[in-house]
Amino acid sequence: MERRVVITAASAITPIGHGREQIVNSLLRGISGIKPLREDELISRHIHSKVYGTVDYPINYDFKRHNRKTMAPCAYYACQVAKEVLEQSGLPQEFITSGKLGVAFGSIHGSPVTQRDIYRNLFGATDNNAFKTIGAVDYLKSMVHTTAVNITKMFGITGRVISSGTACTTSSQSIGYGYESVKFGMQEAMLCGGADEYDTITVAVFDNLMACSTAFNTDPQHTPRPFDKLRDGLVVAEGAGAVMLEEYEFARRRGADILAEVVGFACNNNGGDLILPNLTGITNTLQLGLENAKINSDDVDLVSAHATATKMGDIIEAQAINHVFGNHPYVVGLKGYMGHTMAACGSIESILTLYMMQDGFIAPTLNLEEVDERCAMIKHVQKIIQHPVKTAAIQNFAFGGVNTILLLKKLS
Amino acid sequence: MTRQEIEREIKNIFQREFEVENPGMDDNLREEYGFDSIDAIELLLEIEKLLGFELTQEEKKLAMEIRTISQICDYVEKITQIKATLAGDK
Repeated sequence: MERRVVITAASAITPIGHGREQIVNSLLRGISGIKPLREDELISRHIHSKVYGTVDYPINYDFKRHNRKTMAPCAYYACQVAKEVLEQSGLPQEFITSGKLGVAFGSIHGSPVTQRDIYRNLFGATDNNAFKTIGAVDYLKSMVHTTAVNITKMFGITGRVISSGTACTTSSQSIGYGYESVKFGMQEAMLCGGADEYDTITVAVFDNLMACSTAFNTDPQHTPRPFDKLRDGLVVAEGAGAVMLEEYEFARRRGADILAEVVGFACNNNGGDLILPNLTGITNTLQLGLENAKINSDDVDLVSAHATATKMGDIIEAQAINHVFGNHPYVVGLKGYMGHTMAACGSIESILTLYMMQDGFIAPTLNLEEVDERCAMIKHVQKIIQHPVKTAAIQNFAFGGVNTILLLKKLS
Repeated sequence: MTRQEIEREIKNIFQREFEVENPGMDDNLREEYGFDSIDAIELLLEIEKLLGFELTQEEKKLAMEIRTISQICDYVEKITQIKATLAGDK
């Protein structure tokens, strides 16, 4: 049995704002969320890249201590967007706790801030007190499914839990596996998303691979530059995104506000290198997504590219888009605004795409001034355009050779 | 410490660390305030700070059945007396 799946609520905390109004405003005005990397008194001074997609505004959390005690920063983000999505969905309390609602949520590796604190304490410890430096809740804060289960605890959700930890495809998988859970009748609804916290170790990882942007350290707003001739790498960022997926008939009957339909999802692996982008793997993913959605490539009006602004990644992705979609759909690289929000990027970019579908505009790829000729075979967006988007593809790729595509359709 | 001092210190810990204001001495902490096993471990750390010495595993296990502020005060009193007796024996 295959059922239709729709999105009935969405919210995000991003470097360009919290919630729909601020985020759309930033997209319309071309506002960047990239700021200087903060001094962390540990490794930041050794990192060559001095930029970060930062959530630097206050968030008014209203969580009780009973919940806060097992929450690291990524769980604060996750629970906040989950709370907003639950409120927005209008789902009644008895449904939320009925077992018919599940959660698919993740972060790249639990809470790196908590892990760092554990190691900091251990390395500073003596033989006598090393054991005691490990706190009772350190594991609960840093385990890979910490975001998902802090959400289930806070809201009393008793359905299935899926917690992908596949780096940059974490939350596109959350939405994809949530979609499959509802599509195949395992849950009536799924709360899906991802979150990651401010963390310099992640920057160091990419910096060591020489994949981070370094040429715009004194001018953060002009990086990253997806598909641009002067792009010089990605910018690590923080944030969270969540969507509520529901079975279409259930949502329609209860009069829910239907924002879009999830019509397809595909995920595959390159079956080889864990880092290098792979044209065959990515091309296959995009084709599998179209097959899953039972649509033609011409049906897709907009592609939200993964486009991290690395030298090779953007070229391979442009080639794959061209192979599968030709020059038909508009292509936007939303990381130009926010940087790479890691586990959250698939959900955040899906939500931004949703906002553009709803409002009938396509934001330009920020900082795309001169298209790299090796990326020029697709239809880039360099200034804001008013254009109806009926069907959109959201592409994400991760370390480990994991590729995903989500296909969203506006309901007529 | 006198019993009154112990009660005052324990109530301070509950207000400061667990955001529990003026708990009743015989309130069931789990039922009334959602006080769980994680809180119990954190409370033991606070009690160690209050007493100025580390509790043994056996002493900590004794605390796992505690349900009320009154019982916590009994526990602190008992531990203090044991330590004082041991110190006296030496």
